[in-house]
Amino acid sequence: MLQTLLDKRTLIAVLLCAVAAVAVPILSLVVPPSSPLHMPPYVVALIGKYLCYAILAVALDLVWGYCGILSLGHGAFFALGGYAMGMYLMRQIGARGVYGNPLLPDFMVFLNWKALPVAWWGFQSFPYAALMAMLAPGALAFAFGWLAFRSRVTGVYLSIITQAMTYALMLAFFRNDMGFGGNNGLTDFKDILGFNIQSDATRAALFSASAIVLILALLVGRFLVTSKFGKVLIAIRDAESRARFLGYRVEYYKLAVFTVSAMLAGVAGALYVPQVGIINPGEFAPANSIEAVIWVAVGGRGTLVGAALGAVLVNFGKTVFTGALPEYWLFALGLLFVLVTLFLPKGILGALDSLKRKPAPPIEPADADVAPKIAG
Amino acid sequence: MILLQRFLLVCALLFSIGSLARADDFADAVSGFSADSFSATEKALDGVVQSNNARAAAIVEALQKERLFYAPATKQVVVKDASGAVLDAATGAKLAEAPTELKSVRLNNRLRRAVEAASGQMTLLSADTQKRIAAAQAVYKARDVAALANVETALNKETDPVAKSALSDARAAILLAKPGVSEADQLSAVTQLRARGDQEARAILSSLPDATPPAVKASAQSAVAAIDSRLAFWSNLQNVWYGLSLGSVLLLAAIGLAITFGVMGVINMAHGEMVMLGAYTTFVVQEYARAKAPALLDYSLLIAVPLAFLVAGAVGVLIERTIIRFLYGRPLETLLATFGVSLILQQAVRTIFGANNREVSAPPFMSGSFHLGGLEITYGRMWIVLFALAVFVGLQILLRFTPFGLRMRAVTQNRRMASSMGVDTNRIDALAFGLGSGIAGMAGVALSQIDNVSPNLGQSYIIDSFMVVVFGGVGNLWGTLLGAMTLGVANKFLEPFIGAVLGKIALLVFIILFIQKRPRGLFALKGRAVEA
Amino acid sequence: MENLALTQSLLYLDGVAVSFDGYKALRGLSLTLAPGEMRAIIGPNGAGKTTMMDVITGKTRPDEGVVLFGGTEDLTQLDEAAIAQLGVGRKFQKPTMFESQSVEDNILLALKAPREARATLFGKPAPDTRERIDRILETIKLTAHRKRMAADLSHGQKQWLEIGMLLAQDPKLLLVDEPVAGMTDAETMQTADLLREIARDHSVVVVEHDMDFVRKLGVKVTVLHEGAVLAEGPLDQVSADPRVIEVYLGR
Repeated sequence: MLQTLLDKRTLIAVLLCAVAAVAVPILSLVVPPSSPLHMPPYVVALIGKYLCYAILAVALDLVWGYCGILSLGHGAFFALGGYAMGMYLMRQIGARGVYGNPLLPDFMVFLNWKALPVAWWGFQSFPYAALMAMLAPGALAFAFGWLAFRSRVTGVYLSIITQAMTYALMLAFFRNDMGFGGNNGLTDFKDILGFNIQSDATRAALFSASAIVLILALLVGRFLVTSKFGKVLIAIRDAESRARFLGYRVEYYKLAVFTVSAMLAGVAGALYVPQVGIINPGEFAPANSIEAVIWVAVGGRGTLVGAALGAVLVNFGKTVFTGALPEYWLFALGLLFVLVTLFLPKGILGALDSLKRKPAPPIEPADADVAPKIAG
Repeated sequence: MILLQRFLLVCALLFSIGSLARADDFADAVSGFSADSFSATEKALDGVVQSNNARAAAIVEALQKERLFYAPATKQVVVKDASGAVLDAATGAKLAEAPTELKSVRLNNRLRRAVEAASGQMTLLSADTQKRIAAAQAVYKARDVAALANVETALNKETDPVAKSALSDARAAILLAKPGVSEADQLSAVTQLRARGDQEARAILSSLPDATPPAVKASAQSAVAAIDSRLAFWSNLQNVWYGLSLGSVLLLAAIGLAITFGVMGVINMAHGEMVMLGAYTTFVVQEYARAKAPALLDYSLLIAVPLAFLVAGAVGVLIERTIIRFLYGRPLETLLATFGVSLILQQAVRTIFGANNREVSAPPFMSGSFHLGGLEITYGRMWIVLFALAVFVGLQILLRFTPFGLRMRAVTQNRRMASSMGVDTNRIDALAFGLGSGIAGMAGVALSQIDNVSPNLGQSYIIDSFMVVVFGGVGNLWGTLLGAMTLGVANKFLEPFIGAVLGKIALLVFIILFIQKRPRGLFALKGRAVEA
Repeated sequence: MENLALTQSLLYLDGVAVSFDGYKALRGLSLTLAPGEMRAIIGPNGAGKTTMMDVITGKTRPDEGVVLFGGTEDLTQLDEAAIAQLGVGRKFQKPTMFESQSVEDNILLALKAPREARATLFGKPAPDTRERIDRILETIKLTAHRKRMAADLSHGQKQWLEIGMLLAQDPKLLLVDEPVAGMTDAETMQTADLLREIARDHSVVVVEHDMDFVRKLGVKVTVLHEGAVLAEGPLDQVSADPRVIEVYLGR
């Protein structure tokens, strides 16, 4: 059982994360700044950000890689989780805001609001906010999936409406009257669980938390995909109508994995926000969600570990590129999309597998139901 | 009684013209402008208007355009003409030496209205018909009771039907505002304003003086109600027009997408960038014309249409040949690859043309507007609607009556069958992709007129275009037309109630729900053809 | 009044009509299948054979007509998954299976077991699972290939794997659409034997064009034409029917 759960790659990834969770705080806090081994706080925050993206990528891989649902709206779940955490952090500011209002965040005072909106109730409590960071995206995914999967919206149609979903949310969150800070979003956080959010120690702790959650995400993911449930997901991906005629309620399987994945994405967003210090409606931008898809594609979809690897690699590339040649980053990213789909359709890990195993199976679903039924 | 009054007034007017004694009064009146007080200015204005001096019109006009000045030292009142020359206000003689210090005659809002009304009165008898009409409209709006005599004089002389009706509207407006007018006259004035039925008429009818007889008031009230329902009708129609105009923009942006999606089942995420390329082509053509061939500047849009088609079409064929054909049967991968292409194209344009918006000017035939009943239609929008429909009709003809269209429809309906009947599906794919992209390019020419030409232009249309195609149903251009128009009109009707952003969100949510009920859109291909 | 044909039949179709955009794929199709019976369905292209299967398996909702399973279950009110769980298995014309999974896993997925997500995630497999899989692999002669990817099988092996999946499902009724299309003669004959074996404890409906194959099955034949039943009976009888010769067999 443990052996199937922790195959070689997962084991390596889990160990790496575990080492990082311990080593990074030491390198950052214990090793003196004069030492070449010292890790400056901004690097800690940067790698912590990569890890959050890696969690999002694992979530996306669960639905896309294993169940064939190409969601172009996972950025929305990530952002919702981020907003839940951001609301907690805003409430923690208390009377230290510019306007000194003990209850209302600054932007509400600025908008001349008198009372805290109902949506903000309870967010002074960390456990509640953490719960909401999972439940809010989960509920959205459940409602959306309930409608979409039961009506058998599949393929590119589903991709497009997930994109419309995140686009609509972006427009909504840009509005001041939504009560989530409008354009500017939520920022100027002071502390988390009583610790100063800017301090090196808090940053290191947030990093370790991200690494541990990534480990958990990989393990939960592996548990899902190695069970019979996972085999059914792959069956749905490869031949949806065959799975139906075998008696599987395809829509419930999709709904289950979509909801779990959205909750995981929400957790990633919740870890992301305290590390970058801001959440705004730009996080809902459709382009963000598509970018996450390419991380999974680069690493290798349907591999979980590959998705995480892809997220870290692509974002590391982004950091390097935008530092050295900011003009050319979009060219590079665009080319990455084209080249990976053309020449590396199974990603880095998939390509490694193919090298080991000679006769490559067709990667495309054999069932017409999975592809859109358009041109006949 | 009224006739007598009129007669006397006319006599007085006739008598006054050319009267020398009055000339002195006129000079006195003019000098009143130098007093630097609003009440003196008002008196002076009145005097000038009543004087019927030949210079009166020029002075009122100068006042209106804030070109009337006085020298504080000499109290001389002067007019600066458009060329900057300084003339004596009363005589019109050019001053050899302008006074060293000039102060402008100041106006407040009350005076400004008075000046406007005066100007209206002054030009009621102008030789230029357009000026007379404008003057009559000014009087109508001002409801200046004092102008009644002038209006009636002008009305008697007037031969032009438009000017005549404008004058009689003005007279009706005055009659309702003037105390002591007979009930019958006022009632007929109400009838006349009711027939006119615009906002101004409504304002006049709903703000009658307290002394107005009850019968007139009642009649005015029903007239207001009638005007209200008429205005509501036109405002709805105006909304429909705005909606159709928005729908045309959506149609232009979506129709190319409908073709590539319909024929190949491929989502082209770079479709918006084809639109953008078309807009930049327009920009380049216009810049070239400005620099090299100014005579062609007015026609640059017309020249840009075929060029944009070719540029975007060529890029489309290139994308199809180098990327998409290798991804056939893998629609999700195609989506990702074309998104990469869209990033590259955006950045390429940003590198070449800069990130800022580029200015594309409107040719003369696209500026201005006209009225159609109670509708205001701008030429720009009108041409875009006509252009969108022309593209639609052209495309239908291409698909229905050409061998290429026949093959394309065959591939859309049953790719395998078409292929086995000898249709070169590869070639059709490339051409269909080029066609769809080319049409997007043409859409870009039209959009350059109503949107900012920037590297992000395409982004703002891509999701809307998808929604139109999905809503209308794939493989059916009529569905795209109906989808675009429905969404356009719905958007414009939602806007006044919940605002533009919420309206858009509402429509997105509606489409997301709609696609659950009808996953294949309004007009989907049905039956076994799509199941294979 | 009790209808004997209704209550004692496994499958009961009466007056079933389906149309697509005005094209009438089925017009008043009526058919009864007794428990344990094997039936061959023949008919020219467009006769409505595949549409009939779509109606029985819940893929297509009929415009009118009655479709009952086991005399009580109204199949027009159920979706594919529910009908499959009732015990109706279907084999497609083109072999469809889960290509990126092993032969063994394909059978495992088909094996009769709880289908709910919770059961597949947390439930323990039945103790005889392995044994049942072995038995089926034996029947379809794929024991040696159990670890191979389904995609790597030959066409004939894929057809058999799919039949094996149907066996694993252990349905009361099997619908088989052109099982021998694209098979060699030897494979065709083996498949006929396999189906006859299956028919011993399952009801089977086979749609087939291959007359030799139908003859080898040696069962009652129903001829469909333009969405309705044209003739029914032993093969020799229907192939002598002048109407059948006219529309299908040729002069």
